[in-house]
Amino acid sequence: MKMKAILTLSLAVLGLNAVAQPIPDRPEKLKYPKLTFEPPMADDFRHQLKAGPVAYLVPDRELPLINISVSVRAGTWLEPEGKEGLADMTGYLLSRGGTKSWSAKDLDEHMAFLAAQLGSSIGDTSGSVSLNLLTKDLDEGLKILREVLTSPRFETAKLKLRKDQLLQNMKQRNDNPRSIERRERYRLVYGDDFFLNRLSTKASIESITQDDLKRFHRRWFAPKNFIVAANGDFDVKQMRAKLEKLFAKWPFKGSTPSPIPTNYTMAKPGIYIVEKDIPQGRVNVVLPGIHRDDPEYFQSQIMNDILGGGGFTSRIMNRVRSDEGLAYSAGSALPGGIYYPQYFIAGFQSKSPTVAYATSIVMEELEKITDSRVTDEEIDTAKKSYIETFPQSFATKGQVAGLFATEEMTGRYKSNPNYYRDYREKIEAVNASDVRTIAKRLMKLDRAIILLVGKKEDILKGHPDHKAKVTDLSKGQITDVPLRDPLTLE
Amino acid sequence: MKLRITLLLLAGVLTSPAQQLKVIEKYLPNGFKILMVERRDAPMVAGGWVAHVGSANERPGMTGIAHLFEHMLFKGTPVLGTKNYGKDLEIIEKQEEVREAMRQESAKMRDEFRRGLIKDPTKPENQSEKYRKLEKEFKKLVEEQREILVKNEFDRIYTGGGGSMMNAYTSMDMTAYFITVPANKLELWMWMESERILQPIFREFYAERDVVFEERRMRTESTPLGRLNESFWAMFWESHPYSWPTVGWPSDIPAITKAQADEFYATYYAPENITLILVGDFKWQDCFKLVNRYFSRIPKGTRKVPEVVTAEIKQVGEKRLYGEADANPQIDIMFHTPAFGHTDSYPLRVVSRLLSTRTGRLYKKLIDVEDKVATDTFAANYTLKYGGVFTIGGEAAEGKKPEDVEKAVLAELERLKEELVPARELQKVKNNFAASEYRKLAHSHAILHQLMRYEGSGRWQEFNEAGPKIQAVKPEDIQRVAKEYFKKTNRSVAIYTRKPGSKKDTEFAGLTSQQIPFVRQFVARLKQQKDVAGLKAQLGQMSAQLEKTDQKNQAMMKVIIKKIQERIAELESK
Repeated sequence: MKMKAILTLSLAVLGLNAVAQPIPDRPEKLKYPKLTFEPPMADDFRHQLKAGPVAYLVPDRELPLINISVSVRAGTWLEPEGKEGLADMTGYLLSRGGTKSWSAKDLDEHMAFLAAQLGSSIGDTSGSVSLNLLTKDLDEGLKILREVLTSPRFETAKLKLRKDQLLQNMKQRNDNPRSIERRERYRLVYGDDFFLNRLSTKASIESITQDDLKRFHRRWFAPKNFIVAANGDFDVKQMRAKLEKLFAKWPFKGSTPSPIPTNYTMAKPGIYIVEKDIPQGRVNVVLPGIHRDDPEYFQSQIMNDILGGGGFTSRIMNRVRSDEGLAYSAGSALPGGIYYPQYFIAGFQSKSPTVAYATSIVMEELEKITDSRVTDEEIDTAKKSYIETFPQSFATKGQVAGLFATEEMTGRYKSNPNYYRDYREKIEAVNASDVRTIAKRLMKLDRAIILLVGKKEDILKGHPDHKAKVTDLSKGQITDVPLRDPLTLE
Repeated sequence: MKLRITLLLLAGVLTSPAQQLKVIEKYLPNGFKILMVERRDAPMVAGGWVAHVGSANERPGMTGIAHLFEHMLFKGTPVLGTKNYGKDLEIIEKQEEVREAMRQESAKMRDEFRRGLIKDPTKPENQSEKYRKLEKEFKKLVEEQREILVKNEFDRIYTGGGGSMMNAYTSMDMTAYFITVPANKLELWMWMESERILQPIFREFYAERDVVFEERRMRTESTPLGRLNESFWAMFWESHPYSWPTVGWPSDIPAITKAQADEFYATYYAPENITLILVGDFKWQDCFKLVNRYFSRIPKGTRKVPEVVTAEIKQVGEKRLYGEADANPQIDIMFHTPAFGHTDSYPLRVVSRLLSTRTGRLYKKLIDVEDKVATDTFAANYTLKYGGVFTIGGEAAEGKKPEDVEKAVLAELERLKEELVPARELQKVKNNFAASEYRKLAHSHAILHQLMRYEGSGRWQEFNEAGPKIQAVKPEDIQRVAKEYFKKTNRSVAIYTRKPGSKKDTEFAGLTSQQIPFVRQFVARLKQQKDVAGLKAQLGQMSAQLEKTDQKNQAMMKVIIKKIQERIAELESK
């Protein structure tokens, strides 16, 4: 009796009594508690500041940290011809080239002493200045942020240094096959005249002057072009007041930027080869893509997930990697374009002799998804995945603030404010015949551009065990894409 | 999220922050260690586990097995991954018989290759007829197995259950598996992870070996510095098993057998060698109950995990490697430093921060000066379970050599030995470490990853303990470790320069092998040419023809036109 009591007690202490409950033989038999999740709504955090910008303020009193990010409508599309690299340079030096009352060196030292992270950058379609600091330094940080935004110094020594660094980077343009692949893909998809492909050269970088930077800055860095995201250890009312002050009485007016260009042209279908002496070929199969506001956008996402977007659960991964061991990473992507349609890409890397064979498998899968219905299991898994991982987009306060600011910047807050509220419902509604319809619309193989980066001779030779040949992959012709001089791009 | 945090602020300067992550540590009778962290900010759980085994536990001939094993743990269990487990096992057994015959044939071919009787037998065209026949036989069995496979079912169950970020990695010291699941699916995690630890089935073993080889080709053999870095690393470690790459040597990956993998599993994947870590939205008592129910069913290991006995032998002289690659001229210097958790590792971390970043000493002395020697620099101290590496170096500026960077970098290390670090400079660095104590708590997934790394390196407690130890570092400590470790006999130096001719190759890229010699000849003749007007006329003609030429010859014409233009410019400038 006593023995038994001790035993029960020790089992209880160890929690071993739980072992009594049987473990089901398959995971599908598990029962889960219900999880309800309602996404946060933009309007609960949105503040139209009198000073101009819209701000998303998401408080989080857990840690003594505050994060503020000012996004700006500016990007490479606004660069004057011959000044390619100006947007990037302005973005880089804005927070690193000193301000009216701070030399670059002193500002760097000061921020480092406060353990504050001040950064800035301008990309293709937007830029940002961000500040992450301890709560105690907020007022000090905001003062500096205003100087960075209104009166950056762009010290000439820092400009010279940055030019030297960029020229060093530029020399490496043809070194890594991955960067060659990306650059040449962009050229094929959008054409040399599209703004994304107007890359900097030695000449364009060298021509950039301090005046160019100042002009670019004053033209676009005005409150009307700003969107603010802030999260962290603050009271919303107080933060709002501080932001009003931050953007009040701006010393210059600024201009409204032109719309982001959409004048791209896709290369002719066919095979394009870039010669690079590596034992593995990098392969891209590219097709025209889709806009994120397209009525069939959700259908397209489920289709791509089944085809190659869903990692190990997708068809391309199953066949190229798991069945055949032909590649380490293999899959596809179909992101929805914001300002212009994005492209569809299926890609992988395989040893030179099996490039043709693996590509033929990918082409087969692109065709198959237009020919026959996807299985219920496939569509069910894809939809569940989208629906169940949905809360992850809002996992931290920083994500919430950033996501809403991006919605504002890209115009979806205005055009479709309920995008996130309706998201799961839209995914749920997709069915197998929708998937086939969108596959038929997008997977037009006669339009495919196949880009190969690798050792041409070995790739063309193929593998003794497989019949597939590169020349059979496309009706279009094979074009050699020469690597251009890394500094002049000629 | 409810973290207990206190912060001491003195005179506006951060000192001695004492925030602690509350980690519940428990054990199961079979040996599993469990770490649990409650965080309520989002309805999800980041779950992972660390097997205390990495490539350091391997031996020559089977390097890469820890990593290959990591891949195999996604291949399913008796109930996940097949429609017919009995038949599945039968086929796997038959496959092994054929593979054994293939191995014998491989050994024979390797022997003949060593004696120069046959060409490289890793290339299919050089393999013996017998081997090729066996391979065909094997492929039939693979196809037979495919009939009853349920492809990647392990992944599909998780995906359908809302799992995301599922992945794993292998390092020299550990193998870590992780995923994020919705909070209500905690039991799914328990089911899946306990199931694959209890009874993993190594299906598609040989195809996966090929996948790993492609991974090696991608990361090591097709990147500009991949092979050279691997070589430098192997030169740095003399006796310690850290010397071989985690992905494995090219000779070993295709030679690993399923029997070796079985043995590896029985040795290293026993409960006492595994730590489970869960971070997220749960009550730890409930979580632990589930852990108990699912993981208690896994039997204790049957053998003791062998210790890694071989230590790194003391270096006796400086080692240098000179390599050429498609890369800018640069230098990497490595010093042997102590292992994870060693008292000297904290001052070394402070040193790395003093030297790096935009307000660090290397930037100020080497980059942000009129006559710069570098355009990019780095300094870091990595602590591994059995030893550490302090690495420092950078990319030479235009007109400078890696040796110039070397000199400047070493001068900075000498300065640390000679002068005590000024108080304010040290405080600046410490403030940043203190703030990072907060920043590292921003996301459950990030917390999981840090705990996995710390635990895999030796002790998860470092998550909380390293911060205060860094704050306690004194200028004298820095001087002492600088003198102790930054010695010539303790360093290895790699100098990389741009492969000569790679510029020329770039120029002729896109031309066929017939065209290149023709263009070379043309360029040679061009150098004799002195008649500018004649050249200009030729240029005009060619430019006019360019449009009409077919695509194949256009590339060649463009190169020729460019060469003529260059020659004209050259003549005109004289």
